[in-house]
Amino acid sequence: MSEKLGKVADGLLAGNVEEVSKLTQEMLDEGVDPEEILQQGLFAGMEVVSKKFKDCEMFIPEVLRSAKAMQGAMEKLRPMLASGSSSRAGTVVTATVQGDLHDIGKNLAGMMMEGSGFKVIDMGIDQKTEDIVNAVKEHNPQILGLSALLTTTMPKMGEVINALKEAGIRDQVKVMIGGAPVTDDFADEIGADAYAPNASIGTEKALELIKS
Amino acid sequence: MPKINQTIQETPSFRVLSEDQIERIYSAALDVIQRTGARFYHEEALELFRNSDAVVTDENLVRVPLSLAERAIKTHPRKVNLTGRTGEYGIKLDKDTVNFGTGSDLPFTYDRETGERRRTKYKDVYDAGRIVNYLPNMDFFMSHGIVQDCPNTQTYDRHQCLAMLEGCTKPMVLTSVDGEGLEDLWKMCSLFRGDEKEYRLNPMFITYIEPISPLMNDRSAVEKLLFSAEKGIPCMYTPCPSSGATAPASLAGMLVQSLAETLMASVLTYLKNPGMPLVMGGVTTVLDMITTTYSYGSPELSLASAANTDVSKWLGLPMFSTGGCTDSKALDEQAAIEAATSLYYAYLSGANLVHDVGYLDSGVNASLESLVMNNEIIGMVKQIGKGINTEEEYLALELIDEIGPGGEFLTSEHTLKHYKEWFQPKLQDRSDYATWVREGQLTMNDRIRTETDRILNEHEPAPIDEKLHQELKKIVQDADERHAK
Repeated sequence: MSEKLGKVADGLLAGNVEEVSKLTQEMLDEGVDPEEILQQGLFAGMEVVSKKFKDCEMFIPEVLRSAKAMQGAMEKLRPMLASGSSSRAGTVVTATVQGDLHDIGKNLAGMMMEGSGFKVIDMGIDQKTEDIVNAVKEHNPQILGLSALLTTTMPKMGEVINALKEAGIRDQVKVMIGGAPVTDDFADEIGADAYAPNASIGTEKALELIKS
Repeated sequence: MPKINQTIQETPSFRVLSEDQIERIYSAALDVIQRTGARFYHEEALELFRNSDAVVTDENLVRVPLSLAERAIKTHPRKVNLTGRTGEYGIKLDKDTVNFGTGSDLPFTYDRETGERRRTKYKDVYDAGRIVNYLPNMDFFMSHGIVQDCPNTQTYDRHQCLAMLEGCTKPMVLTSVDGEGLEDLWKMCSLFRGDEKEYRLNPMFITYIEPISPLMNDRSAVEKLLFSAEKGIPCMYTPCPSSGATAPASLAGMLVQSLAETLMASVLTYLKNPGMPLVMGGVTTVLDMITTTYSYGSPELSLASAANTDVSKWLGLPMFSTGGCTDSKALDEQAAIEAATSLYYAYLSGANLVHDVGYLDSGVNASLESLVMNNEIIGMVKQIGKGINTEEEYLALELIDEIGPGGEFLTSEHTLKHYKEWFQPKLQDRSDYATWVREGQLTMNDRIRTETDRILNEHEPAPIDEKLHQELKKIVQDADERHAK
C-alpha cells in the first residue's frame, strides 16, 4: 500500500502523467482512503517538486509536467474526497480582463495552482466584467485570479472588483491579481486581496488565501 | 604598382544564418500562414481577408495562400527615411545602416531624488527625451517610460507624444492606444510639415504595433495597421515571443512563427492599400525557466535578433532589433554586461533600429542613468565596426623606417593625425591608481550620475513654435474631452 503511495510521489517528480493517474485509480479501486492518497502520495510528491524548484534543481517545464500529472490524479480523486476534507484544494477561476489578449502569465499561474491541487477554471482572454461576475456566481470559486499586461487594461481589474461588490458577492471570493504593471499598491488601491508577481508566489498566496 | 585581385573588407562582417538557412525559415513561415493561420479580432480585417484568396474559418481564423503572401511582401519599400521635428536629425533605414534608440512604455521609473521606484510620469518622458536629444550615439527616441499622470489611460499616447516632441528633436518610434490614438499622433506630427502629403514625404515617426504571440492580432493592433496602410505611415509589426512559452523553445521555430506573424500583417495591409513601409523584427528572446521572466539580457536574445536581421536583409525589409537592455533591477555590473553584449551583436548584425537601449528590470523599469551608460558602450561598439584600413598610409611603412629601431612615435605627424580616429571614452576611467584616489575614487556609477545631472541641468532642446505648440495641445485636450466620462 505505502509502496504505491511512494510510487505516486515518484511519478509526480518524474512527471509521469499516465502512471500517476493509473496508480491513483488502482488505489481508489483497492479502497485506499482518498485523503491518504492526497496527503501521503500527491502532496508529498509535489512538496519535493516545490523544494527542487526552489533549489533550481527543477525548472518550469519539468514543474509543469509534474503539475499536469497532479491534475490528472486530482480529477480522479476530487469526486471521492469528503466535502469536509482537509484537502488544501479549492476552486480558482482565472481570466484576462476585457481588452487584453495576453494570457501566458495567467495560464502559467493556473497550471502551477493545479499542481497544488486546485481546480482551475480558466475563462480565457478578453473577458467582460459582467461575464467574470457571472462565472463567480456560477462556479462559486474560493479565488478569482485576474490578469492584465497593459497599463491601459489594468483599470478593468478594479472594475471587476466593484462589480462583485454591486452583485453582493465580493465577500464570497478572494481576488488575486497579476501582470507586469501591477503592484501591491495597486492591489490595495482597487481592493484586491492579493497581488502575485509570478506564478509560484501566486500559488503560495492562493494557499494562504484559502486558509484565512 | 596597384595590386590586382584584391578584396578589401572595409568593416568586420558578421552573420548568423546562411542564405540556405534563411530560405528554410522563410519557407516554413509561408507554410505556417497557409496551414495554421492567425486570428484577427477585427471585423474590417476579416472582411478584407474574406474578399481575397484568404480563407476565414472558426469566426476569426485566417489562412492565407502563400502566393498572396509572396505578392504582398514585395510591395513594401526597401528603405525608410525619418527626420526629427526640426530637420536637424535624420536617420535612414536601409541595408546595414544601424541606428540606436530607447525602448518605450516602461511602467516604472527610478526617481532620481528618492531612488525609489514609482510610476512613470510626463516629466520622466520629457527628461528621457532631453537625454536622448543630447547623447550623440542615440539616433532615435522611443518614450522610455509610459505617461501615467494623465487624465485617462485611453489618451496617454497623445500626452506622451507631446512630452516626446517637447523633449527631443530626433526621429521617433511611437506607441498608441488604438487607431484613433494613432490618428491623433499622426495629426500632431503632420503639423510640423504643413500637410498630410508633405508629411508623407518627410515622416517623423514609425508606429510601433505588436501582434500577440502566438499568431493573435487584437482589435487595437489591427486598427493601427489599417490606418497606417491607409495613410502610408511607416509601421513596424514586431512580435515579442517568449521562446518556450509563447513560441517554440527552438530559436529557429521562434523565428518562423515571428516571421509568419509579420507576413500576416503584410498581407492585411496589402489588401487594404499596397505599399505601406513595413519594418520587421521584434524582441525575440527566451522565458527564463526559473523566474518565468521574459529575458532582456539573455544571449539567446542577441543570437535570435541577429539571425532575424539576416532574414530581414534577405527579404529587403528594414529591421527593428534589440540591445542595451538588462534583466538587472539596478544599473550594476549585470546591467553593463548584458547591455554591452546585446549592443555588440545588434550592431554587427546590421539591424536598422536597435531599440530598448536603457531598459532595466526586463522591460519594466526606466532609468535615465542607464541611457547615459549605454551611450558610452555604443561608442565602443561603433569603433569596432570601423574595421582596419590597410592602405599604404595606414601600413605606415615609411614612418616605421623613418623612426627606426628604438625610436618613438609620440611626436610624429602620423600619430597626431591618426590617434583622432580612436575611440576616446568619456566616462570610463583609465587613470593610474594614485590619480584615481586623489580624484575621489569615483566609480563608473558615480560618473554616470554626475553626467546625467549635468545633461539635465544644461541641455535644452530647440523649443516648439508657440502657435504650433498650442495646436498640439489642442489635439491632446480634444482627445481628453472625447474620452472623459
